[in-house]
Amino acid sequence: MDLELQGKVAIVSGGSKGIGRAIATMLAGEGARVMIAARSQGPLDEAVEALREVAPGRVAAIAADMTDPAGVADVVAATRATFGPVSIAVSNVIGHVIDSKKEGDGPGAGNFASMPSPEYRREFQHLFVSAWALAHEVIPDMQAQGWGRICNIGSGVAREPATELPHVLPNVVRPAVAGMYRIMAARLAGDGITVNNILTGSILTERNLSYWAWLAAQTGSTFEEVTASFHNRIPVRRQGDPKEMAALVTFLCSQQARHITGQSIPVEGGSSRHL
Amino acid sequence: MDLGLNGRTALVVGPDDDIAAACRSVLAAEGARIATSLDDGAIDIVVAHATQRHGSAVMAIESAAEWHAAWDEVVAALDVFGRALPGMRQRGWGRFVWVGTAGSRSLDAEAPGQLDEVGAVTSLAMRAAQKVIASEGGPEGVVANSVLRGGAATADDVASAVAYFCSQWCGYITGASVDVTGGVGSGMF
Repeated sequence: MDLELQGKVAIVSGGSKGIGRAIATMLAGEGARVMIAARSQGPLDEAVEALREVAPGRVAAIAADMTDPAGVADVVAATRATFGPVSIAVSNVIGHVIDSKKEGDGPGAGNFASMPSPEYRREFQHLFVSAWALAHEVIPDMQAQGWGRICNIGSGVAREPATELPHVLPNVVRPAVAGMYRIMAARLAGDGITVNNILTGSILTERNLSYWAWLAAQTGSTFEEVTASFHNRIPVRRQGDPKEMAALVTFLCSQQARHITGQSIPVEGGSSRHL
Repeated sequence: MDLGLNGRTALVVGPDDDIAAACRSVLAAEGARIATSLDDGAIDIVVAHATQRHGSAVMAIESAAEWHAAWDEVVAALDVFGRALPGMRQRGWGRFVWVGTAGSRSLDAEAPGQLDEVGAVTSLAMRAAQKVIASEGGPEGVVANSVLRGGAATADDVASAVAYFCSQWCGYITGASVDVTGGVGSGMF
């Protein structure tokens, strides 16, 4: 299927690793010009080198903190200068890690009873303000073109809080992002701009691998025991591949997906339980 | 119906508006003592609500600071809930109610142009928090629900639902959100 993405200018945050990198790769493979942003220069350099093999001349990178609106503005300005007005924006920022020694870089560990309330503000800055700031910064370009695609890499907890895990921070903040996007979608529909949110399930990324290794060490189990017990809770009995996330995002960015907006779409192997 | 609120102590937090006044009034009429702060005795019930911002628009927000100002109410509510929870668990009984907007369920929960879009965003967060609190507090008799106002709901309509969710009869309804909208709003879930 020709997704009609040739020449479209895209920004992918968190684009140097995992899901973000898979999205950047697939968008570039479909002919888009892609700016990837991430905090650390090293992984960015490595990612952009690999991406240039797929899409020579159509990929660039910039180091920035996408949880800071000033960082977002820098990235958007650099993208305009390199490729022109922005047509596609994929927000892909992880929650803040309070203490990586305790959490193994897992998502915002802690339950409600033990969570100091200021942490809700830090998580809001990471997950909500990042998604809002990127959208806010690129909307004028999209309105001028009468065409735009905005996607957020959210989480299944937006619709169904993970109460069996100590994930109170994403549990509380992710639904707010989904709601903000839903409202933006309604207000931007007349401008040819779609706004969608992905409800990510368990996807096997580098970060996820390091989390399993950490959890195995914590519980005195083997890596295989930890993942097998987890996989048994997923109807398809495996974690997702980042490419399976990237494929949905790429489709949502296509011309064909122009009537799909304001949605929160799960990619989670059938794990959720709501109707 | 005896709501079983005699001898219970309730704290109503958030802006001092008609919703707060109506909640205090109906809870007091049902026999609860109204506390003035978290330190005013053993708190059995906490009701929190947001500022009503009819017509607030997501697309009109121009800075992260504006979002943080809205988020203040979430942080403040969760702070009070978190401080009240240990005592409730110890005593084996507690009620948390969040009063938010039905705009968090339906874009048409209020008359055109009247939707509180910013409140819809913060209410989604609080509804999720209530679900988490319901899960954590359930084993010790602590329940947590949300009342979503919309349509032409009066403060008394809202306060009646709040009182029910604070009552002795509301022990098995938890993590739920109920619309008080007079039937306005198309969203099912």
